[in-house]
Amino acid sequence: MNRFFLHALILFVSTLLLGADVVSEKKWFSETPQNHDDLKAIQDRLKLILSGAKKSLVAIESEDGAGSGVIISEDGLVLTAAHVIGETGKKMKVRLPNGKSLPAVSLGGSEISDAGMLKITKKGKWPHVQIEKMNSSKVGDWCFAIGHPGGFDKERGIIVRLGRVIGKTEDTLQSDSRLLGGDSGGPLFNLNGKVIAIHSRISKEADQNFHVPIECFHINWKFYKEGKLLTFDKIEKKGFLGVSCQATEEGLKILNVVEGSSAQKTGLQKDDILFSLDGEKLDSREELTILISEKSPNDAVTIEFRRDKKQISLQVILGVRPSE
Amino acid sequence: MKTFHQIILALLYAFNLYGYTDNNNSELLIASERLNGSSIQHAFGSSKELATQATVRLLRNNKLIALGTIVHSSGYVLTKASSCVGAREAETSDGEKYLLKIKKRYEETDLALYKLITDKNSFQVINWDVDCNTTEGSWVLAAHTNLKEIRIGVTSGTPRKIGREGGVMGVLLTTDTSPVKGVKISEVVPQAAAYRAGLLEGDIITEIDNRRVKNQDSLIKIIGKKDPGDVVRVKVSRKTEIKKILVTLGHRSVTFDLFNRNLQMSGPVSKRKDNFEMIIQHDLPISKESMGGPLFNLDGKCIGINIARVDRVSTYALPAYLPSKVTSLFLESRPYVKTTKQDDQSPYESLSLNHGRRARNSFYWLSDNHGQFCKSYHPVPLAYFH
Repeated sequence: MNRFFLHALILFVSTLLLGADVVSEKKWFSETPQNHDDLKAIQDRLKLILSGAKKSLVAIESEDGAGSGVIISEDGLVLTAAHVIGETGKKMKVRLPNGKSLPAVSLGGSEISDAGMLKITKKGKWPHVQIEKMNSSKVGDWCFAIGHPGGFDKERGIIVRLGRVIGKTEDTLQSDSRLLGGDSGGPLFNLNGKVIAIHSRISKEADQNFHVPIECFHINWKFYKEGKLLTFDKIEKKGFLGVSCQATEEGLKILNVVEGSSAQKTGLQKDDILFSLDGEKLDSREELTILISEKSPNDAVTIEFRRDKKQISLQVILGVRPSE
Repeated sequence: MKTFHQIILALLYAFNLYGYTDNNNSELLIASERLNGSSIQHAFGSSKELATQATVRLLRNNKLIALGTIVHSSGYVLTKASSCVGAREAETSDGEKYLLKIKKRYEETDLALYKLITDKNSFQVINWDVDCNTTEGSWVLAAHTNLKEIRIGVTSGTPRKIGREGGVMGVLLTTDTSPVKGVKISEVVPQAAAYRAGLLEGDIITEIDNRRVKNQDSLIKIIGKKDPGDVVRVKVSRKTEIKKILVTLGHRSVTFDLFNRNLQMSGPVSKRKDNFEMIIQHDLPISKESMGGPLFNLDGKCIGINIARVDRVSTYALPAYLPSKVTSLFLESRPYVKTTKQDDQSPYESLSLNHGRRARNSFYWLSDNHGQFCKSYHPVPLAYFH
């Protein structure tokens, strides 16, 4: 009963604040349906945007396997998973829903978030969809996954699975839309018809699957598009700073400094807020990792950070990642 | 045998690395609010009640083997024939149990009609939606095997014919040339038909049913015309001996499931999932023991009968016009006539005759939740050092 009253109260207050129309109009977006009409509204909304969403889906094929991807620009930029592209500059094939095969080349991405990009190399105006803005999707939003589970199958067509966003952090988004091999790299849409994530991994429970949040693409867009691919191999072998951080509004807050690392030698401390590296603004932990892994041990980088409201700039000579 | 070791290793990986649980993570959406949570189930209201009441559990030795669809108030139940062999008892949602009698089996549709042995004439009956106006992205629901809850999902993919699968021996063949004319077995799938019959790696198959086997294609052609369960006489050359071995063929999908990582991630699937003249596809998270039960739309109309659990994301249902016709023909005591492309009862304009491309034995991208970077909810632990 408590929840009923809470809902009633929220509805009442919202009605006062926003007017009833606004509330009922968006009910299908992230609310828990209460009855037949609410469910019908979600179904109607899904059907309205599904055909447009499907046109942008591609199957990605290479010798190693088959995955999915989504076209997000007229000239054929495709978002997918890093484990689908594998490496940068690789020739790949993408297949449109009608079966037409097009040449493509892999760009960049990150093995940490599993974000990947590729580009259709044939000139043309390709069917595409919009991606959602930063920090727009949230837990509870209704969403739907499309993809080619088990590989491209023209007779069967594209498979859609409805669900909700059940978890979200900086690095990953979870939904209860069910996925299978071949879906990798395919898009997760919200009911505004915008891409909020890319399918990445599955868990044992079929209703808890993992996606790359669109924010991971936004933050590192330039790197990925330029064909920079962050791999675990690079992280192991390239430069090492020696901090662990947490993303905050102001920048990356240092949680820990590794004993004997470059960071410690230079004097970086716990709770320092890092906000730029070689002039690049730091928006995420992954971005810091990308920048550091582009450098080699003994390279110098300039780090700007804030400590007790003081802004400090320091040059750090990067070290080697300790072998545990 | 190298391949097998690799496969087994891959399976072990898959099982080891599963096991993410979301306990004690307050940031996750609570279970009742998720797609199949109790709150969403509740929103389906009377459709939910109908779905559980018009479904029965079919039991063999007190073990659930399939669900059934109540198609007549006097207790006629339609179910998946190949799942229901030996069913003795039916249990309704109110917990009552009834003995069963089989009335008819339909090989074409894999349906079987049973009668609950009772005088009761007030069973909750499904209401067929024979117009099949269910388009892609429609809500669908079916009773959970406990007949208390429902499972929820949406329809997807193109309604279509699923072609015949054919029988298999369960051997891998090699292109190696050998002095004996025939086809050499490079591997025998463990527990498959050929394995049980005693065929060995290295055997050279020279004849099947007295027909010469010249190459792989001719072997596949001969075997492919047979059905699972058929017996073939295989003549093999083993070292200096000639042996004649009888092989009872198996199901392709079951035999080669071992190679299909997708199916490894999917849990048990139906044995027969081929050779249906028309199916609609949906993503309900239901088990193979849920086959034979009715599938409903949002309005509580029965749009089909679940007929094959295919994989983690796919179940096939026979669209309502097929089971409803079987039912009405039986109750009117007329023989069942297979629908054809021209049959005006079929709501689908074009039937394609080819089966969709088989899942290849290749690797499909979407790893399970494995590896150092995604064992927990955070793919990168907070304490990851840059």
